[in-house]
Amino acid sequence: MAVQTFKLPKSLKEGAKFSFCPGCDHGVAVRILAEVLDELGLTENTITATSIGCSVTIYDFINVDAIEAPHGRALAEATGIKRARPDKCVFTYQGDGDFASIGIGESLHCALRGENITAICINNTTYGMTGGQLGPTTLLGQKTTTSPTGRNVEYYGYPIKIAEHIALCDGTAYSARVSLDTVANIKKAKQAIKKAFEIQMKGLGFTFIEILSTCPTNWKMTPEQAHDRVRNQMMEVFKPGVYKDITAEKTV
Amino acid sequence: MECLQKTKKKVLMKGNYAIANAAVMAGCECYFGYPITPQSEIGEFMSGKMQELKRAYVSAESELAAINMVIGACSTGAKAMTSSSSCAVSLMQEAISYASADELPIVLVSVMRGGPGLGNIYPSQGDYNQAVIGGGNGDYQTIVLAPSTVQECVDLTYKAFYLAHKYKNPTILLADGLLGQMMEPVEFTEYPYPEIDNSSWALSGAKGRNGRIIRSYAPLAENQCVFLNKLYGKYKQIEENETEWEEIDTEDADIVLISFGSPSRNVKSAMKICRKEGLKVGFLRPITLWPFPSKRIAELSKKVKMFLDIEVNMGQMLKDVKLAVNGAVPVEFFNRPVGNPPEVDDIVNKIREIMK
Amino acid sequence: MGKIVIDESRCKACYLCIDECPKKLIKKSEKTNKLGDHLVEFCDPNNECLGCAMCATRCPDLAICEVYKG
Repeated sequence: MAVQTFKLPKSLKEGAKFSFCPGCDHGVAVRILAEVLDELGLTENTITATSIGCSVTIYDFINVDAIEAPHGRALAEATGIKRARPDKCVFTYQGDGDFASIGIGESLHCALRGENITAICINNTTYGMTGGQLGPTTLLGQKTTTSPTGRNVEYYGYPIKIAEHIALCDGTAYSARVSLDTVANIKKAKQAIKKAFEIQMKGLGFTFIEILSTCPTNWKMTPEQAHDRVRNQMMEVFKPGVYKDITAEKTV
Repeated sequence: MECLQKTKKKVLMKGNYAIANAAVMAGCECYFGYPITPQSEIGEFMSGKMQELKRAYVSAESELAAINMVIGACSTGAKAMTSSSSCAVSLMQEAISYASADELPIVLVSVMRGGPGLGNIYPSQGDYNQAVIGGGNGDYQTIVLAPSTVQECVDLTYKAFYLAHKYKNPTILLADGLLGQMMEPVEFTEYPYPEIDNSSWALSGAKGRNGRIIRSYAPLAENQCVFLNKLYGKYKQIEENETEWEEIDTEDADIVLISFGSPSRNVKSAMKICRKEGLKVGFLRPITLWPFPSKRIAELSKKVKMFLDIEVNMGQMLKDVKLAVNGAVPVEFFNRPVGNPPEVDDIVNKIREIMK
Repeated sequence: MGKIVIDESRCKACYLCIDECPKKLIKKSEKTNKLGDHLVEFCDPNNECLGCAMCATRCPDLAICEVYKG
């Protein structure tokens, strides 16, 4: 008797086909997010505020109510949704540029207010949709279309460590950085997302997951090489881990 | 400050408080705001009242955030608003464009002050263009209501919520610093409009149905053509049904004075003085700045000898008046660039001068 | 004796699944997609598939859409 060990999550739209580039980790992130919504039974009670960038297309794939926020304003809209309808599960799915550059004011203040919202931020160290420009998380030395000789401090300053910043906010209940470079890490990432949603539904505060992700197209790498870069370069600077978890503190 | 429910007799109240109180009575469920003179009393009133009533209130980190919180709340069908003033309303233009494309019933109270730039905190009508034309991208139109008394601030706040929800369209209550800061006797009725059913589009969680998407992103040009034609069909309907203005003594008028908002009160007084002198002066005050009473002005232009447009700016509504008159008769202009409205005497003198 | 189901219409030929399979049962196919890229195919003549679903977990495009175990 064959047992099914993998099936597509029900929270995905029927026949959904991702529009991401080949090998892009966005697809994995969206799928595990859908799996979490399935497992927690949240699909029919969820509203999402999407962002601008490759991440905006999430509303074409996940079968939940969605509103498209202007660039950087997802967490402001999510705040409006949650305050108007506190019983709903509210999440945002944003890129690093949306979350930590144009939207850093909204992001930090949402965390400081301790809104019961889950924010997922895809960190791929570049602006993917516009063709690979320098973003807030672009690593020192990294070549992009707007840092042709590599990011240097003189002209560009330093990349932001998002999960650490969010963890510093008193309203944050959970802040973690995960990656999708191996199957084991994908499973860890899913657990982190699940934990964040559970904490949100308990009303304990702002929950945040930064997902280290690839952009093979703009990095000009094969998907495999891109995962090597995540391991060898990104993780050196953006160390995976749980930076804040108030539920863990309570058990100590 | 105490929230006044239906009042049997008139109470003396500041314009900003009256607007806030009216919003509460209109059933506003969520207020999001950021302080700016001369409208900060609205946020101050709301901060206490909304918490007391267990409704939503957020002291937003910026006007950008505030108006986007309104969008979020409105996407769930809630009655939500923000209030701001001139240079800060500039920051909201992007969101107004998005809300127009998303067809969301956001309500924005804009209490005008002097500009451009930081300008000053004196009253002004310098944001007629900002409200009526708008500074957001793309083809869109907001409904704009312009009160001239504190009582009208109340009545039009009710109406702003109604029209916003009826047409799923951003609606601006365009007051000015004078109205916001002055006290007048007002009366609060019950919210006089029917509640609009929004269950067919509001985001409530995809229970027993597919997920709803409120979006403006239309990757294909053809789709955007269809959408814009539909949107402008709605705007046409609003123009036909909702254009509102006040008109006095235009039947036999040689000249019609046109003015909106608080300065129209001085203009009305000037008209009465001129009438006593035997001058045939009429008066028209657009209450909806969009839709603008162009049709009525065009009709009048066939029988009057001239118009005099009076504003506290450099001539913003003037362009709409001229478009409506379409060269049929002269349109004169009298203004004060910023600050209190022109004095009644000065308006009377201007009328005498141009009617010679 | 497990098996996987590959939805070829979703496969974008990123080949991440090939290295992921502990039994090396996935390989480039002769079939190509619209772009001329070779898709992948499941090749398990000796019934070695564990049904571990590592390939499906890795696949970013929902192309490996079903996995069964023994």
